[in-house]
Amino acid sequence: MPDLNAIKAEAKRLLAEGVVEVVVAFKPGDTPLHPQPAFFTNVDEVENLVYDGLCQNNLATFLTRLPKTKKVGMLVRGCENRSVNALVVEKQKSRENLYLVGIPCEGIIDWRKIVERAGEAVLAVNENNYVVEIETRDEHFTFSKNELLHDSCLRCVHPTPLSADILIGEALPEGNLAIARKAVEEFEAQTIEDKYAWFQKEAERCIRCYACREACPMCYCTECFVDHIEPRWTESGATPAGMQGWHIVRAFHQTARCTDCGACERACPMDIKMTYLTEKLNHDMINKYNFEAGLDTQTLPPFATVTLDDKNRFMA
Amino acid sequence: MNLILEKQALPGLLQSWREQYDVYVPQKMERFSHFMPLTEESVLVTGEPHNTRIPPKALFLPMTETLVKFTRFGGYEDAQQNVQPRVVFGIRPCDAQAIQLLDTSFIQEGYTDPLWLERREKTITIGLGCHQPCHNGFCTTVGYGPFNKSDLDALLTDLGDTYLVETLSEAGEACFQDLSPASDDIYEHALEIQQIAHDQMPVAFETENLKEKLEQNFNSKFWEEVSQSCLGCGVCTFLCPTCFCFDIVDETQRKQRVRNWDTCMFRTYSLEASGHNPRPSRVERTRQRLSHKFVYWLDQVNQIGCTGCGRCVRYCPVGIDIRAMLRQAQTLPFEVSHAV
Repeated sequence: MPDLNAIKAEAKRLLAEGVVEVVVAFKPGDTPLHPQPAFFTNVDEVENLVYDGLCQNNLATFLTRLPKTKKVGMLVRGCENRSVNALVVEKQKSRENLYLVGIPCEGIIDWRKIVERAGEAVLAVNENNYVVEIETRDEHFTFSKNELLHDSCLRCVHPTPLSADILIGEALPEGNLAIARKAVEEFEAQTIEDKYAWFQKEAERCIRCYACREACPMCYCTECFVDHIEPRWTESGATPAGMQGWHIVRAFHQTARCTDCGACERACPMDIKMTYLTEKLNHDMINKYNFEAGLDTQTLPPFATVTLDDKNRFMA
Repeated sequence: MNLILEKQALPGLLQSWREQYDVYVPQKMERFSHFMPLTEESVLVTGEPHNTRIPPKALFLPMTETLVKFTRFGGYEDAQQNVQPRVVFGIRPCDAQAIQLLDTSFIQEGYTDPLWLERREKTITIGLGCHQPCHNGFCTTVGYGPFNKSDLDALLTDLGDTYLVETLSEAGEACFQDLSPASDDIYEHALEIQQIAHDQMPVAFETENLKEKLEQNFNSKFWEEVSQSCLGCGVCTFLCPTCFCFDIVDETQRKQRVRNWDTCMFRTYSLEASGHNPRPSRVERTRQRLSHKFVYWLDQVNQIGCTGCGRCVRYCPVGIDIRAMLRQAQTLPFEVSHAV
C-alpha cells in the first residue's frame, strides 16, 4: 500500500502552493465498504483523505463534471491515469490544467466478494500487505487480497500510472497481456448460442439505472443515445430489446476508449457483467490496430481518425 | 390469530398455495435475492440478505408495463394485465410498509391507478420479521420497525425450529387455516424476540424538526456538499421501496404506450420541452430526493416517505449515505415554526 501520509503531504502541497484549486481523491465512507469520492479545496480538509483497496470508483469520471479551465489535482491509479489521458486526447481537459498524483495500484477490492464471503454486517476492513482482515458483527475473517480483487484488476496490464506528475511509492511490474486475454478467449471459445444466452442473462437483469454510464469516465455525452427521443435509438423500457440495446451500444461506444477499469461493473446494482464485452473490443483494438486507450495524451483512437490515403476503398 | 408453523412444513405449505395462487418468494439470483414465482425446484431465501435487491414494489409497479396498444386507423385498446390472485411470501416489514405508503399515492378518490389497484387487490402479503436486524437498515429511526405489521396479511417471527404466525386479516387466516394455535408462552417468547430486535436497531439520525430544517435550508450550501460526489444514476431511487415515479413513453415501433420507472436523479426527469431544466444539477436533484421523503410526504400524508430499508446506503456506487446526510442536516440552523 502506498504511504497515506505521502499522499496527504502532496495533496496539501498542491493546494497550499496554488498548483491546483481542487484535489479529487477519497474520504472515509459512512460504511466501511464504501469510501467516498471527495473534493478537497483547502489544506485542512486533506487530513480526511483516505486511500485503500476499497476505493472503487474511477475518479476520472468527475473530470468532465468540473469546469474545463479549473486546475484539478487527482489521485490516479493505472487505469484512471489512462482514462484521464483518453479524455485529454478527446479534448475534454487540457493536460496543463491537471496535476496527477500517481499511485501504483495493488488492485481494487470488489466489496461484493466481501459480502458474499463474510455477510452483510461488515464493521471494519483492514488491509495490509495483500492481506485483508474483516470484522463483522459475529466473526473475524482473513482473506488474501487477490481473492477479493475485482475481475478487471486480476487481469490488469498497467497497474502503475503511465504519466503521473508524481508517483507515490514504487512502480509495480506490468501485467501480462496473454493472461489478460484469457477471459476474452474463454468467452469466445463458447458456442454462439451459449454466448448469446450469457449475454441475455446478464443484460436482461438491467434496471436501466445507468450507474454503469455515470461511473464511466468515457461516458460524458450531455445527451446519451438512450435519452434521445427523435429519433429513438433503442426501446426506452426494461424490455429485452431495450436492455440488450443499451448494453450493446454502450459497449460499442467504448471501442478504443475503455481502459478496463471495471468501474461500470462495480457500480451496477444488479451485479451485471459488462467488461466481457468491452474487453473483447479492447483486445480487438490491440490485435488489429496495436492500440490501447490512454497510453499517451496524443494518439487518437483508430476509429476517431480518418486519412485521405486510407487503404480501404471507400475513401478512394 | 397466533399460530405455530414448523419450519419443515413451510415448503409444503408454500407449494399448497400454488393450487389457488401465483406464489412469489425471495430466491437467489446472482449474489442477491429476488422475488420470483415459486416452482417445484425453488429454493427459498429466508436469512441474509434480508431484503431482495429489487424491492417488492416491482410486483405492483413493474419496471416497464404496457398501458395502451394502438390499433390501425387511429384506434387503441387498453393492455390486458392478466394478474392472477397471488401470495407474496417473505416480504420484509420495511417493504410492506412502503407498499402502504405507495397506496396513498396510487389509490386516491378520483385519482386511483387501476393497474396498481388491481394488483393490490389480488395480492396477499405475508411478512417475515427481522429477528436479526439487518446492517445499514434504520427502520426504527423513521418510526417503523423490524416487526412492523402495516399492510401485511400475516407476519412470521422466527423462533428457531418454528415460526410464530400472526394472522392480520381474513385472507391471511385462510392461508394458515390448518395450523395449530400458539400457546401464550410461545407468543410471549415471540414478543420478547421482537422487542429485542427492535431495541437492537440503532438510532441513525434524529427526526425531530428535521422537516423544518430541510425546508428552511432550501438554499443552503449543505446541498452542494452532500451532492458533490453523486454520479446522478438511478440506483438509490430505483432500489428504493417508496420511490414510484414513472415516465410514459410511446414506443411507436411496438405500437404501444408504456410506462417505465423514472427518477428525479436523472437530468431528463425535469427537463422541459423548451430546454429549460428547473433542476439543472445534481444539487437540486439530491435536494428533491431527500425533501420528497422527509418533507413532502409529511406535508401530504403526515408520514415519513422512507421506511429505512437501507438499500440506497448499501448500493450507492459512490458510498453516499442518506443517514449521514440527515445527521448533517440536523446540524443546520432553523427557527421553530409556529404554524397554526
